[in-house]
Amino acid sequence: MKKILTTCIYCGCGCGLYLNEDRGLLTGAYPSVKHPVSKGGLCVKGWNCHEFVNKMDRLTHPLIKENGKFRKATWSEAIELIAKKFKAISSESGPDSLAFLSSAKTTNEENYLMMKLARAVFKTNNVDHCARLCHASTVAGLAATFGSGAMTNSINEFEEADCFLITGSDTTSQHPLIGSRIINSVIDRGAKLLIVDPRKIELSKYATVHAQQKNGTDVAWINGMMHVIISEGLEDRAYIEERTEGFEELKELVKDYTPEYVEQITTIPKNKLIEAARIYATTKKAMLVYSMGITQHTTGVDNVKSLANLAMLTGHVGFLSTGVNPLRGQNNVQGACDLGALANVYSGYQKVTDADKREKFEKAWGVEGLPGNIGLTVTEIISALANKKVRGLYIVGENPMISDPDQNHVRECLEKGEFIVVQDLFMTETACFADVVLPGASFAEKDGTFTNTERRCERIRKVIDPPGEAKADWEILCDVARACGYKGMDYKDPSGIMEEIRVVTPIYGGMKYDRLEPHGLQWPCLDENHPGTPYLHKDKFAKGKGSFMPRPYKEPVEFPDEEFNFILSTGRVYWHWHTRTLTGRTTTLERESPVPYVEINSEDAKELSIRNRARVKVTSRRGSIELVADISDKVVKGSCFIPFHFREAAANVLTINAVDPIAKIPEYKVCAVKVEKL
Amino acid sequence: MKLKKILQKDVEKLLGEAAKKWQTYVPSKNDEGDTLFAILPKEKDELEKALQRVNLKDDWVAISPKEIFFPQVENMFSFDKERITEEIETSKKLIFGIRPCDLKGVLFADEFFKRNLEDIYYLSRIEDRLIVTIGCNTPPRKEACFCTSANTGPFAKEGFDLELVDAGNYYLVEVGSVKGEEFINLYSAFFEDAGDDEAEKLNSIESDAKEAINVKVDFDKALEIMKGDKDLTENYKRIGERCIYCGGCVYTCPSCTCFNVFDDKLGDNGVRRRNWDTCVFRGYTREASGHNPRDEKWTRTARRYEHKLKYDYSVTGTSGCIACGRCLSSCPVNIGMSKFIEEITTNKRNM
Repeated sequence: MKKILTTCIYCGCGCGLYLNEDRGLLTGAYPSVKHPVSKGGLCVKGWNCHEFVNKMDRLTHPLIKENGKFRKATWSEAIELIAKKFKAISSESGPDSLAFLSSAKTTNEENYLMMKLARAVFKTNNVDHCARLCHASTVAGLAATFGSGAMTNSINEFEEADCFLITGSDTTSQHPLIGSRIINSVIDRGAKLLIVDPRKIELSKYATVHAQQKNGTDVAWINGMMHVIISEGLEDRAYIEERTEGFEELKELVKDYTPEYVEQITTIPKNKLIEAARIYATTKKAMLVYSMGITQHTTGVDNVKSLANLAMLTGHVGFLSTGVNPLRGQNNVQGACDLGALANVYSGYQKVTDADKREKFEKAWGVEGLPGNIGLTVTEIISALANKKVRGLYIVGENPMISDPDQNHVRECLEKGEFIVVQDLFMTETACFADVVLPGASFAEKDGTFTNTERRCERIRKVIDPPGEAKADWEILCDVARACGYKGMDYKDPSGIMEEIRVVTPIYGGMKYDRLEPHGLQWPCLDENHPGTPYLHKDKFAKGKGSFMPRPYKEPVEFPDEEFNFILSTGRVYWHWHTRTLTGRTTTLERESPVPYVEINSEDAKELSIRNRARVKVTSRRGSIELVADISDKVVKGSCFIPFHFREAAANVLTINAVDPIAKIPEYKVCAVKVEKL
Repeated sequence: MKLKKILQKDVEKLLGEAAKKWQTYVPSKNDEGDTLFAILPKEKDELEKALQRVNLKDDWVAISPKEIFFPQVENMFSFDKERITEEIETSKKLIFGIRPCDLKGVLFADEFFKRNLEDIYYLSRIEDRLIVTIGCNTPPRKEACFCTSANTGPFAKEGFDLELVDAGNYYLVEVGSVKGEEFINLYSAFFEDAGDDEAEKLNSIESDAKEAINVKVDFDKALEIMKGDKDLTENYKRIGERCIYCGGCVYTCPSCTCFNVFDDKLGDNGVRRRNWDTCVFRGYTREASGHNPRDEKWTRTARRYEHKLKYDYSVTGTSGCIACGRCLSSCPVNIGMSKFIEEITTNKRNM
């Protein structure tokens, strides 16, 4: 019976929990009492995060596809095949005919190695991961305005805030241990809660103001709030003067966004907008919180920049219990970004287009000729399989068949893919399309670090051995690099990888393993004496002066019309995680949410004569799915919501793969569909 | 048997000896600052290290000792085409240093698993068991412990084999059973008779310990109210709405014993396991048709409180709540039994 402290595999809260082991079986997960996030409690996913690890259908040995069927293979066979194929493709069609999808579920060390494998060994910047699908807009938008693309403040600061402006985050479902802090603050301390969200979420019932905007009209309401603030003189003049630049342009742009005009665009009653603007502007400790509802739009970067404008306008950045707080979804999506599993940056957001940075990494990695072009992103990589621009694809711990927009398009691309490697825990919907499948180790079977949404880099620890011949992702990546003749990827253990990360990544400079005991450090953590940084932009912005970047409102790509007359938004439920590979194998979670469903407003249901729990067909220009109707007033008339977890009725059959021009994030939150009774 | 005493510095040696004979469970403080139950290893160097970690002071153990007999997940049996192989655990156990409230929980669970169908998986684990409790001079969960309200602490009155009470540089040792007496005789070198004045000292430590419990509620009144027909819907609704359905209150509760059974299979082979389940989940009561008699959140909240304070009481004569306060201290949104009792007995809204 062992009980070992590690970090939860699910959301970005990064709760500290103990995994219990008894004779090789994981027998439970308990919260750490002393951990700063969990504090003795967990959400239901955390309490049950051990179960999938034990499953008998884990991948236990490498598989090679021959004549359309998988056969067992040895590690050396599989690794040699990958090396041979990748080298051949690269020499025939150039380095950019290869691409690498890293994973926000693997460790920092593994993400670093994935980008090192792509860049140092195969000389391509075609390396990306699912942050592209969730917070690429944040990374771009906040880096441009503030100089750092991360959550500005810390989770425990939610316990002291007096106002929350929450938009596009179903916080209690997706970040339960942050959602709970908001509930406590609102009920027990009387903090004000402003929610701008098209849906009624759990938190709506506590809202001081709940404004339900029409999906995809975020820039308009944010500009509208700024209009109200400026016209009522509620902006923080001293702060603007001292710490920002570009205010005049902002003032000019938001002049047109009168509450009346904004009401026309967004359907938010003007009084609600005015009330919310006043409360947010006049409360000192006000935290702005957002998530996918803001980022997953073709205007994702504009949305983020506009929120940054709003926070700067009111002087709400750079102090305790304030800030702009994008809640990162995956347990290690912050870390995967930090460690450079992105098409445009090395670890620590050092740009691949910067010749000095390239030279620095060439020296560190002992290679020459690192590419200076920005690589392809997730959706571009998948599409490039179809036209053979990408011929070899290496996927670690991602499941684009379920997670990427426009599933029929994704399937077609994967079918056409010439050589695909998938490294995962289970035979996922995507792995079925692979030529080589490699069995990875779960979070309970390896050492490493995750970085949570508040930039806390914390340890995960090995509790049990991986099943069969499965290996830690970092070991597999090193094997591939070696097989390709690269000498610079030999490590004894993950702490050795972190030592290299520290040297080349300034914000992780002080993240030595022994310093991460017991509960991690928050970046920037520049050197071994640096205490870490609970909140960013204290005294001045990371980039010097914060930049107002006013943006005009633009319509989403696909609004409803006569035929496709509903707005569809997609998202998640409390009980499941993303593509359900893990939670679908967890008895308690799967029992709570066993079937796919679509939320429909009761008025629409009446008009269409649809009973609650009846089966309906939802169709977009991309495809159709059949699922159960969940009738309520959670969504407004004319819109519907589908959780994207279920392969049985994948919401991403319907979604559109239009992307934000800068962040390349798809518009998961708006597309047009029709709903039919079956 | 007369009151005994053992020097605090000798407890380590005693445990070192006992670990050779028993599977010995102790509260153990780890490098991360958390105290959890751990088994003392048999190997000498490992044992030395583990003994340094034994923590009988006032730290909060998040999970009650029910996990020793009723793990969060356990294998019941494995199967293939030919046979079923049951997994029964029967080690000789010494549970050293559990709290009086937790003891109540363990005894309550024992009764449950014996009451109707005899549960071999549980009963085999408790077959050979010696329990040494330690009284709480100060409450481990300062904001949550409310044992004095339910008479379940801070010192145990029955059901233990031995009970230790911290009396400075030694523990006073009360003997509660023949097994406990045998234990003392076996390790008589570590124990001596307590002086005549020590009983008095024990009383005074106990009355100080009672004083130290901060949270006090009218438990008996709550049981009366729950027996009657007072409409508590408003309370249930408010609390049910606040709840985030993590299941933590049930998972950490020493007397909650619900489990779910599931199979993990691959081809013809598989294993049947059971895991902790909770009545606050919707799926717990959902019927095969999809109909759910407890579909609305508040009805599940009501179920939990009614089970603990009404149903258990009417069936067993004791409340299902043993007043440990773990439901409150593990709840991300600060819901807890003590607060519920305070609400219904004082009509003061506190959640």
